Amino acid sequence: MPSDRLSNQIRRLRFENGEMTQQQLADKAGVTRQTIIAIEAGKYAPSLPLAFRIAHAFGIPLEDVFQYDGDANPSRPGPDSAR
Amino acid sequence: MIVSKLEKAAWVNLAVVIACVLIGSIGFFALTRMNARGVGNIIVVFVVACVSGLGTYLMRRKRGFEAHLDERERLIYKRSLEWAFVAAIAFLACICIVPFFVLGGQNVIRVYYLPVVFLSTLFAAQFVHSAAILVQSAREDDDAQ
Repeated sequence: MPSDRLSNQIRRLRFENGEMTQQQLADKAGVTRQTIIAIEAGKYAPSLPLAFRIAHAFGIPLEDVFQYDGDANPSRPGPDSAR
Repeated sequence: MIVSKLEKAAWVNLAVVIACVLIGSIGFFALTRMNARGVGNIIVVFVVACVSGLGTYLMRRKRGFEAHLDERERLIYKRSLEWAFVAAIAFLACICIVPFFVLGGQNVIRVYYLPVVFLSTLFAAQFVHSAAILVQSAREDDDAQ
Protein backbone atom coordinates (compact mmCIF):
# COMPACT_ATOMS: atom_id res chain seq x y z
CA MET A 1 0.00 0.00 0.00
CA PRO A 2 1.67 3.25 -1.07
CA SER A 3 1.78 6.04 1.49
CA ASP A 4 0.10 9.13 -0.01
CA ARG A 5 1.64 12.29 1.31
CA LEU A 6 1.29 15.71 -0.25
CA SER A 7 3.68 18.42 0.84
CA ASN A 8 3.37 22.05 -0.19
CA GLN A 9 5.28 25.31 -0.30
CA ILE A 10 2.29 27.57 0.34
CA ARG A 11 3.67 29.20 3.47
CA ARG A 12 7.01 30.03 1.82
CA LEU A 13 5.29 31.24 -1.36
CA ARG A 14 2.94 33.48 0.61
CA PHE A 15 5.84 35.25 2.24
CA GLU A 16 7.71 35.49 -1.04
CA ASN A 17 4.65 37.10 -2.62
CA GLY A 18 4.58 40.24 -0.53
CA GLU A 19 3.68 38.47 2.72
CA MET A 20 0.31 37.48 1.33
CA THR A 21 -2.08 36.59 4.16
CA GLN A 22 -3.99 33.34 4.32
CA GLN A 23 -7.20 35.33 3.85
CA GLN A 24 -5.89 36.97 0.67
CA LEU A 25 -4.89 33.59 -0.75
CA ALA A 26 -8.24 32.15 0.29
CA ASP A 27 -10.06 34.94 -1.53
CA LYS A 28 -8.00 34.37 -4.68
CA ALA A 29 -8.58 30.60 -4.58
CA GLY A 30 -12.26 30.94 -3.71
CA VAL A 31 -12.16 29.01 -0.43
CA THR A 32 -12.29 29.82 3.26
CA ARG A 33 -9.25 30.75 5.32
CA GLN A 34 -9.69 27.56 7.35
CA THR A 35 -9.23 25.51 4.18
CA ILE A 36 -5.96 27.31 3.38
CA ILE A 37 -4.83 26.71 6.98
CA ALA A 38 -5.67 23.00 6.69
CA ILE A 39 -3.90 22.65 3.32
CA GLU A 40 -0.84 24.54 4.56
CA ALA A 41 -0.60 22.29 7.60
CA GLY A 42 -0.92 19.18 5.42
CA LYS A 43 -4.18 18.19 7.09
CA TYR A 44 -6.24 18.41 3.94
CA ALA A 45 -5.31 17.39 0.39
CA PRO A 46 -7.03 19.78 -2.04
CA SER A 47 -8.82 18.70 -5.18
CA LEU A 48 -7.00 19.16 -8.49
CA PRO A 49 -9.01 22.27 -9.52
CA LEU A 50 -8.33 23.92 -6.15
CA ALA A 51 -4.64 23.02 -6.34
CA PHE A 52 -4.51 24.68 -9.77
CA ARG A 53 -6.33 27.76 -8.45
CA ILE A 54 -3.76 28.09 -5.65
CA ALA A 55 -0.90 27.71 -8.13
CA HIS A 56 -2.50 30.35 -10.37
CA ALA A 57 -2.79 32.69 -7.38
CA PHE A 58 1.01 32.56 -7.10
CA GLY A 59 1.47 32.56 -10.88
CA ILE A 60 3.62 29.42 -10.89
CA PRO A 61 3.18 25.80 -12.06
CA LEU A 62 1.33 23.32 -9.87
CA GLU A 63 4.41 21.20 -9.15
CA ASP A 64 6.18 24.20 -7.64
CA VAL A 65 3.43 24.45 -5.03
CA PHE A 66 2.59 20.82 -4.32
CA GLN A 67 4.91 17.81 -4.18
CA TYR A 68 3.83 14.20 -4.01
CA ASP A 69 5.93 12.29 -1.47
CA GLY A 70 4.19 8.95 -1.89
CA ASP A 71 5.49 5.75 -3.46
CA ALA A 72 6.68 6.64 -6.99
CA ASN A 73 6.24 3.04 -8.22
CA PRO A 74 2.94 1.68 -6.94
CA SER A 75 2.50 -2.08 -7.31
CA ARG A 76 -0.63 -1.72 -9.50
CA PRO A 77 0.15 -3.09 -13.02
CA GLY A 78 0.09 -0.62 -15.86
CA PRO A 79 -1.64 -1.09 -19.25
CA ASP A 80 1.54 -2.48 -20.86
CA SER A 81 1.95 -5.25 -18.31
CA ALA A 82 -0.96 -7.27 -19.83
CA ARG A 83 0.98 -7.95 -23.03
CA MET B 1 -10.13 31.61 16.87
CA ILE B 2 -11.79 31.71 13.44
CA VAL B 3 -15.33 30.42 13.13
CA SER B 4 -16.53 29.53 9.64
CA LYS B 5 -20.10 29.70 8.39
CA LEU B 6 -20.34 25.92 8.69
CA GLU B 7 -19.23 25.99 12.34
CA LYS B 8 -21.62 28.85 13.14
CA ALA B 9 -24.48 26.86 11.61
CA ALA B 10 -23.41 23.79 13.60
CA TRP B 11 -23.38 25.77 16.88
CA VAL B 12 -26.84 27.21 16.12
CA ASN B 13 -28.14 23.77 15.19
CA LEU B 14 -26.68 22.27 18.36
CA ALA B 15 -28.35 24.97 20.48
CA VAL B 16 -31.69 24.46 18.70
CA VAL B 17 -31.53 20.68 19.16
CA ILE B 18 -30.65 20.97 22.87
CA ALA B 19 -33.45 23.53 23.39
CA CYS B 20 -35.92 21.26 21.53
CA VAL B 21 -34.90 18.27 23.62
CA LEU B 22 -35.23 20.23 26.88
CA ILE B 23 -38.59 21.78 25.95
CA GLY B 24 -39.83 18.49 24.49
CA SER B 25 -38.79 16.48 27.56
CA ILE B 26 -40.33 18.96 30.00
CA GLY B 27 -43.50 19.13 27.89
CA PHE B 28 -43.72 15.37 27.56
CA PHE B 29 -43.28 14.65 31.27
CA ALA B 30 -45.67 17.46 32.21
CA LEU B 31 -48.34 16.16 29.82
CA THR B 32 -48.03 12.52 30.85
CA ARG B 33 -48.52 13.56 34.48
CA MET B 34 -51.81 15.28 33.54
CA ASN B 35 -55.13 13.59 32.95
CA ALA B 36 -54.44 10.48 30.87
CA ARG B 37 -57.59 10.94 28.68
CA GLY B 38 -56.45 14.25 27.24
CA VAL B 39 -52.84 13.25 26.89
CA GLY B 40 -53.30 11.43 23.56
CA ASN B 41 -54.61 14.48 21.66
CA ILE B 42 -52.19 16.90 23.23
CA ILE B 43 -49.26 14.63 22.48
CA VAL B 44 -50.26 14.35 18.83
CA VAL B 45 -50.45 18.15 18.50
CA PHE B 46 -47.18 18.49 20.33
CA VAL B 47 -45.41 15.94 18.13
CA VAL B 48 -46.74 17.48 14.91
CA ALA B 49 -45.63 20.94 16.06
CA CYS B 50 -42.17 19.69 16.92
CA VAL B 51 -41.70 17.77 13.65
CA SER B 52 -42.96 20.66 11.51
CA GLY B 53 -40.83 23.13 13.43
CA LEU B 54 -37.70 21.04 13.03
CA GLY B 55 -38.53 20.25 9.40
CA THR B 56 -39.05 23.91 8.53
CA TYR B 57 -35.83 24.84 10.27
CA LEU B 58 -33.84 22.15 8.45
CA MET B 59 -35.33 23.02 5.05
CA ARG B 60 -34.65 26.72 5.51
CA ARG B 61 -31.09 25.90 6.48
CA LYS B 62 -30.56 23.49 3.61
CA ARG B 63 -31.72 25.86 0.84
CA GLY B 64 -28.59 27.37 -0.68
CA PHE B 65 -26.59 26.49 2.39
CA GLU B 66 -24.25 24.01 0.70
CA ALA B 67 -23.65 26.41 -2.19
CA HIS B 68 -21.71 28.71 0.14
CA LEU B 69 -19.42 25.95 1.41
CA ASP B 70 -16.05 25.24 -0.11
CA GLU B 71 -14.88 21.71 -0.96
CA ARG B 72 -13.31 20.98 2.45
CA GLU B 73 -16.41 22.17 4.31
CA ARG B 74 -18.61 20.12 1.97
CA LEU B 75 -16.50 17.05 2.78
CA ILE B 76 -16.85 17.71 6.52
CA TYR B 77 -20.60 18.22 6.05
CA LYS B 78 -21.01 14.95 4.12
CA ARG B 79 -18.87 12.99 6.59
CA SER B 80 -20.96 14.40 9.44
CA LEU B 81 -24.12 13.25 7.67
CA GLU B 82 -22.69 9.72 7.59
CA TRP B 83 -21.94 9.92 11.34
CA ALA B 84 -25.47 11.18 11.96
CA PHE B 85 -26.95 8.29 9.97
CA VAL B 86 -24.92 5.75 11.96
CA ALA B 87 -25.89 7.51 15.20
CA ALA B 88 -29.57 7.41 14.24
CA ILE B 89 -29.42 3.66 13.55
CA ALA B 90 -27.49 2.99 16.78
CA PHE B 91 -29.86 5.18 18.81
CA LEU B 92 -32.93 3.53 17.27
CA ALA B 93 -31.49 0.08 17.95
CA CYS B 94 -30.76 0.96 21.59
CA ILE B 95 -34.11 2.64 22.23
CA CYS B 96 -35.97 -0.36 20.74
CA ILE B 97 -33.90 -3.18 22.20
CA VAL B 98 -33.15 -1.88 25.71
CA PRO B 99 -36.85 -1.82 26.83
CA PHE B 100 -37.17 -5.42 25.62
CA PHE B 101 -34.52 -6.56 28.08
CA VAL B 102 -35.53 -4.15 30.86
CA LEU B 103 -39.30 -4.71 30.74
CA GLY B 104 -39.36 -8.22 29.31
CA GLY B 105 -40.96 -9.59 26.17
CA GLN B 106 -44.49 -9.90 27.61
CA ASN B 107 -44.79 -6.30 28.83
CA VAL B 108 -46.75 -3.44 27.23
CA ILE B 109 -45.56 0.03 26.16
CA ARG B 110 -47.96 2.94 25.62
CA VAL B 111 -48.44 4.02 22.02
CA TYR B 112 -47.54 7.65 22.71
CA TYR B 113 -43.96 6.54 23.17
CA LEU B 114 -43.70 5.80 19.43
CA PRO B 115 -43.60 9.45 18.26
CA VAL B 116 -41.26 10.13 21.16
CA VAL B 117 -38.93 7.41 19.83
CA PHE B 118 -39.15 8.93 16.36
CA LEU B 119 -38.44 12.46 17.57
CA SER B 120 -35.63 11.33 19.86
CA THR B 121 -33.93 9.58 16.93
CA LEU B 122 -34.26 12.74 14.84
CA PHE B 123 -32.80 14.87 17.60
CA ALA B 124 -29.96 12.40 18.25
CA ALA B 125 -29.05 12.41 14.56
CA GLN B 126 -29.10 16.22 14.44
CA PHE B 127 -27.04 16.43 17.61
CA VAL B 128 -24.39 14.05 16.26
CA HIS B 129 -24.39 15.85 12.90
CA SER B 130 -23.63 19.21 14.51
CA ALA B 131 -21.16 17.75 17.00
CA ALA B 132 -19.34 15.90 14.20
CA ILE B 133 -18.97 19.13 12.21
CA LEU B 134 -17.54 20.91 15.24
CA VAL B 135 -15.19 18.02 16.13
CA GLN B 136 -13.85 17.72 12.57
CA SER B 137 -13.41 21.48 12.27
CA ALA B 138 -11.64 21.66 15.62
CA ARG B 139 -9.30 18.85 14.58
CA GLU B 140 -8.18 20.80 11.52
CA ASP B 141 -8.19 24.15 13.26
CA ASP B 142 -4.63 25.35 13.48
CA ASP B 143 -4.36 29.09 13.88
CA ALA B 144 -0.81 29.42 12.62
CA GLN B 145 -0.78 32.55 10.47
